[in-house]
Amino acid sequence: MISPADTLIHLLPEVIVAITGAVVIVADLVWKRPDHVRPGPRPWLAYLGIAGLAAAAVVTVAMAGRSAELFEGLVIIDPLTTFFRLLFLGIAAVVLLVAVDPLPRFTRWDAEFHALVLWCTLGHMLLASAGELFTIFLALQLTSLPLIVLIGYAKRDKRSGEAALKYLLLVLVSTAVLLYGMSFIYGSLGTSTVAEIGDLLAGMTTVEPVLALGLVLLLTGFAFKITAAPFHYWVPDVYQGAPTPVTAFMSVGSKFAGFALALRIIITGLHLPLNWHVIFGVMAALSMTIGNLGAIKQTDIKRLLAYSGIAQAGFLLIGIAALSESGVAALLFYTVAYGLANLAAFAAIIAFAQSTGSTALADYAGLGRRAPLTAFVLTVALLSLAGLPLMAGFVAKFHVFLQATQAGLVWLVAIGVANSVVSLYYYLRIVWQIYVAEGESAPLALPWRSGVAMGVCISGVLILGVYPEPMLTAAAHAASALFGK
Amino acid sequence: MIPGVLAALILIPLAGGIASSLVPRRTEGRARDVALVSSGATLGVALWLWVAFDRSRETMQFEFVREWIPGLGTGIHLGVDGLSLPMVLLTALLTFLATIASSKVSDQVRAYFSLLLILEAGLIGVFLALDLVLFYLFWEVVLIPMFFLIGIWGGERRTYASVKFFVYTLSGSLAMLAGIIALFLSTGGKTFDLIAIAPAAAALPVATQTAIFAAFAVALAVKIPIVPFHTWLPDAHVEAPTAVSVLLAGVLLKMGSYGFLRLGPQLLPEGFSQIAPTLALLGVISIVWGAAVALRQTDLKRLVAYSSISHMGYVMLGIASGTAAGMMGASIQMFSHGLIAGMSFLLVGALYERAHTREIEAFGGIVKVAPVLAGTLVFASFASAGLPGLSGFVGEFLVIVGSFPVFAPHAVIAAAAVVITCGYLLWMLREVVFGPLNAQHAEMPEMTGTEAASILPLGAACLAVGIFPQILEGVMRSSLDALVRALGG
Amino acid sequence: MTTLPLMSIIVFAPIVGSVLIALLGRDPRVPRLIALAASTVCLAAAAYAYATYDRVAGGLQFVESAPWIPSLGVRYIVGADGLSLPMLLLTGMVMFTGVLASWNVTSRPREFFALLLLLVTGVFGVFAAIDAFALFFFYEMAVLPMYLLIAIWGSTRKDYSAMKLTLFLFAGSAAILIAICLVFFQVGAGTFDMRVWAEHGFGADFQRWVFLLSFVGFGALVPIWPLHTWSPDGHVAAPTAVSMMHAGVLLKLGAYGIIRFGVTLFPDGFASWATLIAVIGAINVLYGALCALNQTDLKYVIGYSSVSHMGYVLLGLATLNRFGFEGAVFQMFAHGIMTALFFVLVGYVYEKAHTRQIAEISGLMRRTPLVAAAFVIASAASMGMPSTSGFVAELLVYIGLWSLSPLLAGLVFVGVVITAGYLLRMLTRILLGEPSEAVAHLSDPAPVRLVPVGILAITIMVVGIFPSSMYETIRSATGPLLARVMGG
Repeated sequence: MISPADTLIHLLPEVIVAITGAVVIVADLVWKRPDHVRPGPRPWLAYLGIAGLAAAAVVTVAMAGRSAELFEGLVIIDPLTTFFRLLFLGIAAVVLLVAVDPLPRFTRWDAEFHALVLWCTLGHMLLASAGELFTIFLALQLTSLPLIVLIGYAKRDKRSGEAALKYLLLVLVSTAVLLYGMSFIYGSLGTSTVAEIGDLLAGMTTVEPVLALGLVLLLTGFAFKITAAPFHYWVPDVYQGAPTPVTAFMSVGSKFAGFALALRIIITGLHLPLNWHVIFGVMAALSMTIGNLGAIKQTDIKRLLAYSGIAQAGFLLIGIAALSESGVAALLFYTVAYGLANLAAFAAIIAFAQSTGSTALADYAGLGRRAPLTAFVLTVALLSLAGLPLMAGFVAKFHVFLQATQAGLVWLVAIGVANSVVSLYYYLRIVWQIYVAEGESAPLALPWRSGVAMGVCISGVLILGVYPEPMLTAAAHAASALFGK
Repeated sequence: MIPGVLAALILIPLAGGIASSLVPRRTEGRARDVALVSSGATLGVALWLWVAFDRSRETMQFEFVREWIPGLGTGIHLGVDGLSLPMVLLTALLTFLATIASSKVSDQVRAYFSLLLILEAGLIGVFLALDLVLFYLFWEVVLIPMFFLIGIWGGERRTYASVKFFVYTLSGSLAMLAGIIALFLSTGGKTFDLIAIAPAAAALPVATQTAIFAAFAVALAVKIPIVPFHTWLPDAHVEAPTAVSVLLAGVLLKMGSYGFLRLGPQLLPEGFSQIAPTLALLGVISIVWGAAVALRQTDLKRLVAYSSISHMGYVMLGIASGTAAGMMGASIQMFSHGLIAGMSFLLVGALYERAHTREIEAFGGIVKVAPVLAGTLVFASFASAGLPGLSGFVGEFLVIVGSFPVFAPHAVIAAAAVVITCGYLLWMLREVVFGPLNAQHAEMPEMTGTEAASILPLGAACLAVGIFPQILEGVMRSSLDALVRALGG
Repeated sequence: MTTLPLMSIIVFAPIVGSVLIALLGRDPRVPRLIALAASTVCLAAAAYAYATYDRVAGGLQFVESAPWIPSLGVRYIVGADGLSLPMLLLTGMVMFTGVLASWNVTSRPREFFALLLLLVTGVFGVFAAIDAFALFFFYEMAVLPMYLLIAIWGSTRKDYSAMKLTLFLFAGSAAILIAICLVFFQVGAGTFDMRVWAEHGFGADFQRWVFLLSFVGFGALVPIWPLHTWSPDGHVAAPTAVSMMHAGVLLKLGAYGIIRFGVTLFPDGFASWATLIAVIGAINVLYGALCALNQTDLKYVIGYSSVSHMGYVLLGLATLNRFGFEGAVFQMFAHGIMTALFFVLVGYVYEKAHTRQIAEISGLMRRTPLVAAAFVIASAASMGMPSTSGFVAELLVYIGLWSLSPLLAGLVFVGVVITAGYLLRMLTRILLGEPSEAVAHLSDPAPVRLVPVGILAITIMVVGIFPSSMYETIRSATGPLLARVMGG
């Protein structure tokens, strides 16, 4: 039995994040900005949040070696948790940083924005450690509700409101689906902890229809979250409508949260005699193909990245479809590579939109001359997404394909590599706009905070591209937690 | 003996070619001096070789052997014997005279002389090479300078003529390459050396020998050229500038007949014997056809070109006969035709320069205004017609005599064809040299010193060979005997 | 033996140069100097390796090995043998001359040279890599620079061509990736070291199909018919140095990959497809030559001639005998030098005359005798005329082909005649006659531009006249390779 004090220590990172969110709100109340002052950026609020995230990260790292099951399996702390905690903390920090400058453009409620990001991150972290169905449900709600608000944060922008509404409906539907699934599972097995479900399922030779239906519904709920096809249709509108920092946040944070969760459930929970290879394989293939084909004709870069995100979810799913420890390790490495590259790309897009107010692809013409460094970062990020070498995406894709091959999913690898080719096409189209197309030539002044975010992310992309070993080891270690039992 | 003298024979003109292309643009006329010195030096070496040559040996002399691509069984192997020495001398002589005769070239002088000398290097290389790959190398190298010499300094339709020349001979060469490869592979794929491969090659089954030699024959026949592979020749001759025509008719065609001698009897005796009747037949057809077509020409140069085809037919017939006399006749005819054709083209060139036309009808009575020029033309025509006492007679006579025991009907026809030859030559002389003076050419200048310097040595040589054929015969005898022996004769 | 890490120097000198250019290249004259320095280092190192390679011992030499990504079993292993040395030397030369030929690039020189060096790193890397992961890594590294170099500095439909080329390349690499993954697990030794892979006896079916996969993957780059369509377009659109790199070296990557990966690892699989490869090779030769006959743009002529000439490489391999193998590799080198020379020359003419239409260019011989002479040398090599490097290569291929099938050899001879046809057609139009309006003001280029022409032309002649050292180098690799194919 773990003592309450120990329990608290294990959850200290989450606690710190929760408190940081509150502190930001309070700080805003204390150092209130007069109403008549035209709102400018208040970076110190963001720095406060980042400091909290950093503190949580330090604690996480300090406790990295410790594993525990809290509340009798409701919450699981293991290397996988640690991995995702750090990932989510990092994502949140970058999002806070890049949001500083654009925030005043669409809202004066900046403190609340920061707090919502932090609390949403709290939800992500909890999802990564949830070991029981209803904990999962609660954690999911904790991520969804702040996101709905964040998506609709740009009050004056109709698309933002529309996106928020769409997302709200989506959350309602997926929550309902998820709840159905959970109740069917609970109803037929009589337990809600993932570990016990796994044990029970492992002993079965046939599957009751109700149970199978429950599993399918559960899976559907995750599919919404990870933007996998065929549950992806909401993604482009919401991504495009949401304020860009929020889009950035969703595109990695909430997607990875879905994966964190899916991993626990699938690997620990689903020892069923079903052909999961094929189920996830088909899902992966569909996501890649639909995402990539959809991205080809986009003219708005946010929308394009939304489709590319669907496709990337497909590549990530290949790692799951392999159903192996190394497959999960590959997936984890992929999340880092993808997260870094996508955040770098969004940081560049945010910086660009800050100066030009546009996210239209056509407006990127001549960026290579107007802002060489931003152009470079965006290019490297996109090509990392395409999986070219020297960048993390190359190793990530190679790793995923390698593991899928080992699992015998050569057909899936073939579809995957074919999709890589397609994806290169539209990524290169952006590169073409940046470097080749003739456009405006006035130099752009870009906010330095975005520059820092870009620098950090792109360094990560390049370092992981050339020397991925430490991250691969970390991913392998995290993956081993799932299979250790 | 001087080691490397044969390599020097190739390298001197090559170096000269490079040197004349490097002459500064301001003094580009100097390129001709460089060419004169270089081709003169080559001629000197060739003459020395002629003197130092051991006439009693039938094997290769002055051999020059170096490693080249040992892994492929091919090396640098040069040598000279009674077959090649006259050809080398002929090449050196004609190039030197062609250089003298090219004094009027004013367009892109450096390139012209450079190509002329590279051509010489290639030609000499062909006659000296004793390795099949090396042989093929020089054989092909000749094409490029020739292509440009015709293509740049040629007449109206030079592009057509040069491309036709190139594609024809290249296609032929590929047949030779195929033959070389087949020979190499069927003898075990060990060596390309002509001397080393000969015993294995001669031991091949008849069918193989025949097939390989047939491939060679196509390439060689295109070069000679034998009817029906001849159509490139008149075009090339008509368009080529004078000096190039000299080399083309004088030496280039001999590459073909030399190839028959070099690659035939000693290398593939059975194959040679199998194909010889066909070659003899084609030779006779060439004799008659060339002469007959020459009869109908109105253009002086075309006439000489067709007469070349006819004369080379004798060479073919002589070689095909495989007899000692026939081969000797063919060899002398090769040398002699080089002299006569050189003379004829130089003379036609001289006339063209004066009249700016080559139409036979445009001339007339030039003996009245330019007797020396006219006299030389008459001399050259008589030599061409095979007048006794001139070199042409010796060659043709021996060919007919030598081929009679083997191909009697052919020999008779070949002898009769001399009549046609006389016909077109005399008709040409009547129209051009004699008859009423064409008023347009009343002011025609006499032969200049330069022209004399390039033409008269050929006439002298022609006369010398005609009167003392043993000059040539002595050099050729031993080697030809060996050929005849190889054929079992 | 040397203790210098020659291979690493070759691979990393360009990327170091690339980074230096990015950091220091603000002055437009600096990038080209850095690029020249980097390529000099590469060329010197490659030449030194070539000179000191022990041809008698053969095998892989200059091997360096270091852990890279242990968790995936990836090591950084580089080395060179008789197959890669000619390619390294070729790349070094093409790069060196390419930099000189680009001396006057005025549009964004910094990016141009940085990308060029990045591209070269990838190419060198492929030729030096012994670890399959590293090979693939470097292979894909060449993709992006290639795209940008054509898309930014190219001409004639550059957007389309650049994209087409890049996607073909990438699609090819996709097939290779699958093959690598499959082999990795089939061997099961947890390593990408191709030396270890080569020791593994693969099953007949596995060999058959994985060879085909790698053949198609690398073949897209060769380019094998019918995957060749990107190649002429790409050649035409690319700026001079990139065309040189592209036709001179990039196509060789494909052929090299087929040999290094496909033939070495799956000798039986390769042998079972020999007929197919021979047929494709023959189609390449004839189809490429016929297409070249029809072109009006100089670069297209050379582009299609590359398709044709790379057919010899395939034919040589398909013969399954020593001459064919040697000829194939020799042709890779010879074609690289020859086609690079062509592109230098066309690039110069285009730069000055602003046209590449054969109909609009004539009389180059009068205006630019040296350029014309170099055109002749390149064409001679292209036709396989003796005393050029092209002759040795084609002779070997012919010998190999002849012993396989005289009929096929005869068919290929037809290709040679067509080749002579289109080259002569080109030469007579552009070199001879009176200078046309477009070239009226041309004169021979400045010395710095003549250096690449000279180097390449002399190399053609020197390798053609003294082919022995190149030949022995190649033999040291093709001998054991053939033994693998025939022994299996």
